[in-house]
Amino acid sequence: MAEAPTSPAGGSHESGGEQSPQGGGGGGSGVREQDRYLPIANISRIMKKALPQNGKIAKDAKDTVQECVSEFISFVTSEASDKCQKEKRKTINGDDLLWAMATLGFEDYIEPLRIYLARYRELEGDAKGSARGGDGSAKGNAVGAMPGPSSQQFVHQGSLNYVNPQEEYYVPLNNMGNGN
Amino acid sequence: MRQPGRYSGFMMHGGISGRTGAHSLPLARIKKIMKKSGEDVKMISGEAPIVFSKACELFIEELTRRSWMTTLEGKRRTLHKDDVASAVVGTDIFDFLVSLVSDSCHSEDITPEEKEALGGS
Repeated sequence: MAEAPTSPAGGSHESGGEQSPQGGGGGGSGVREQDRYLPIANISRIMKKALPQNGKIAKDAKDTVQECVSEFISFVTSEASDKCQKEKRKTINGDDLLWAMATLGFEDYIEPLRIYLARYRELEGDAKGSARGGDGSAKGNAVGAMPGPSSQQFVHQGSLNYVNPQEEYYVPLNNMGNGN
Repeated sequence: MRQPGRYSGFMMHGGISGRTGAHSLPLARIKKIMKKSGEDVKMISGEAPIVFSKACELFIEELTRRSWMTTLEGKRRTLHKDDVASAVVGTDIFDFLVSLVSDSCHSEDITPEEKEALGGS
């Protein structure tokens, strides 16, 4: 019992250092693993947030949660993908994922996700708005590369209070989508 | 649970264009995992990985909290794999993970690929 107070300091210090690998792509775990799982350091940091300060996490637990998260992504994505296929849409969007999560029992996540997304759109929209001048040419390319009209992506279910989606706003994201 | 205000800071320094920024989980990696979910998963909107970056965080937190309850029931202070397995088995929405955790509990050295080959449940 007396040893418990020593761990929080070490834990919080460690979590600060763990932030660095995410930008560098981790490494050391093999290429296949990098494709299949999220970085263990990020997982570990999120897990620690959910525990009291004196809580510790064994490595095997981190590994298991790491596998579970990938399974979660696949599970939700598959459900969203089925929906898109039925509706003859090619692009899985954020709403499809929210719908899938609600369908699969994760209703509790929807509200925090909506808030997160709305906030992201708001802030990202602001950032794009101020940098709009430089985006002009890139925008043309990105839209031209899309098989369907971009408005297709903006057909939402009305379940969310979407901030007006701007085309400029989608540009870097579309590029991400077509990148590989 | 987590206040959105916590995230407002990272977006201020440049948004997330292309990079992960201070998102807690790397978006490119999330996208790769999404694409492995099925052959028909070809086009993914830019917002989808962002939704997942937060959703995965919620998922990890919930799974960890439930696992920790098992740890406490055992009067321990270290969360182990078995605790995660118990949380999965005891929670309806985690049913899709049952084969994953039960496989890994019974055979330590099995790879996820072998698990898939075995077919799980």
